[in-house]
Amino acid sequence: MIRGLQYFVMEAFLSLWRGRRSSALSILTITIALFMLGLFLVVSANLQRVVDEWGRSSEFSVYFRDEAAPSDRDAVRRALAEHPAIADIEEVSKEAAIERFRLDFPDLAQATVGAAENPFPASFEARLRSSEVDVAALGTLADRIRAMPGVADVRYDRRWLDRLASLSGLVRYAGFILAGVLVLAAGLTVANVVRLALYARRDEVEIMELVGAPMAFIRGPFVCEGIIQGGIGAVLALAALRIVLALAAPRLAAAAGGLFDVGALTFIPAASVALVVAGGMVVGCLGGLVAARRLR
Amino acid sequence: MITIEGLSKLYGRDVFALDDITLSVGRGEFAFLTGASGAGKTTLLRILLRQELPTGGRIVVDGRDLTTLSARDVQRYRRTIGFVFQDFKLIQRKTAFENVMFALRILGVPDVHQRRRTFQVLKWVGLQHRANAYPMELSGGEQQRVAIARALVNEPVLVIADEPTGNLDPDLSLDIMNLFREINSAGTTVLVATHDRELVQHVGRRAIMLDHGRVVESA
Repeated sequence: MIRGLQYFVMEAFLSLWRGRRSSALSILTITIALFMLGLFLVVSANLQRVVDEWGRSSEFSVYFRDEAAPSDRDAVRRALAEHPAIADIEEVSKEAAIERFRLDFPDLAQATVGAAENPFPASFEARLRSSEVDVAALGTLADRIRAMPGVADVRYDRRWLDRLASLSGLVRYAGFILAGVLVLAAGLTVANVVRLALYARRDEVEIMELVGAPMAFIRGPFVCEGIIQGGIGAVLALAALRIVLALAAPRLAAAAGGLFDVGALTFIPAASVALVVAGGMVVGCLGGLVAARRLR
Repeated sequence: MITIEGLSKLYGRDVFALDDITLSVGRGEFAFLTGASGAGKTTLLRILLRQELPTGGRIVVDGRDLTTLSARDVQRYRRTIGFVFQDFKLIQRKTAFENVMFALRILGVPDVHQRRRTFQVLKWVGLQHRANAYPMELSGGEQQRVAIARALVNEPVLVIADEPTGNLDPDLSLDIMNLFREINSAGTTVLVATHDRELVQHVGRRAIMLDHGRVVESA
């Protein structure tokens, strides 16, 4: 068994070396396909992280009428606290609100001095738990709270969250579709390259058949060739992705400014790395099998 | 060893490559299959190697009915016979030694035994000093010796040769025929297809003559 595998691997490497031009082309195709897949995984993972961060910093604000009773506020607090999307609630009194305004807009601060009454309402500022953000559920919560006694208005970053959620989904789906097409193309390229190798060695295959070699013995090296191409392509794709990420991070940081923390750009998780390599080998294996299937 | 009854092979609707052939070759016999080009020699050999199936009739080799073999049985059957072709059919990227050893490798014989047996057979055909040469570096006669060594390495019950001297000059042809005679003297059945009547007469063994797909002489 092990001797057989050794033979397959040796024969496969020999064949790859003999047809190194077409092998290189095939490996390059797999590399590009898996690079794109990896790139979308990286973009998707980082975008999700940004969405999470922004989601965490987005707020759900409830403004109270001046005549709102403490019991009204308690009822609102309970309603908020019970909702799974709400992480924590900060109470902002009318005094705190005007203080905050004065700090945030010092040029306009004078306008509030000497006013007959404080125009800023008291409010609850609830922080959202990003993983639980369900825009539709938040809408329902907003409607419910808006109807509660003592509540003047409810505001939250609905449109913003909507857009973020759909952008994240769009990037993921577009990525998977594009990567899927490229992976299919890579599989077909491997199949064709292996088929070329098979064609170049048809005399050899005929001789093997004549001496009674089992079909697995004849097909094995060709399938192995596909697996090796896929594996090398995947490793190259991941290495290229790592390099591109390292080179792009500083430029992206400069371009993004303070919008989000580019310094913390993450590579795809270890499990996904293993998945990409295994995926490359599976694509290569399938390509090799498709080509070797012609041998009967 | 070989029993053929009413064997026919039809190409298209009415081209008979073999037409109702009945013959037998005994165990340990040395026989020639002769006839002009197109007589049906190669078709019969292709059926014997189970590269083709007959249209009708029966062909039994060493107790195996070739018309009923499964794909796996065909592989097993081929491992019990040796073949030699006019164009040698050697794997160009393997050395003489590797070409011969390959037939043992697929049998799963231990490495040490593979090497020892391969060396023995190469020595027997007088090519032990050319073991590491690639087919391209060998003369026609040497390549045919390598092919014969490969045919013998797994100790077959039957050796089939299709025009084995077709690419060789007369002296080399006699050398090769002497090798077949030696193989036969060790008890292996040998069937050689050739159109060279002089060679057949020189070797002086049974000749089965085909003409237009029929056996016209079998003496």
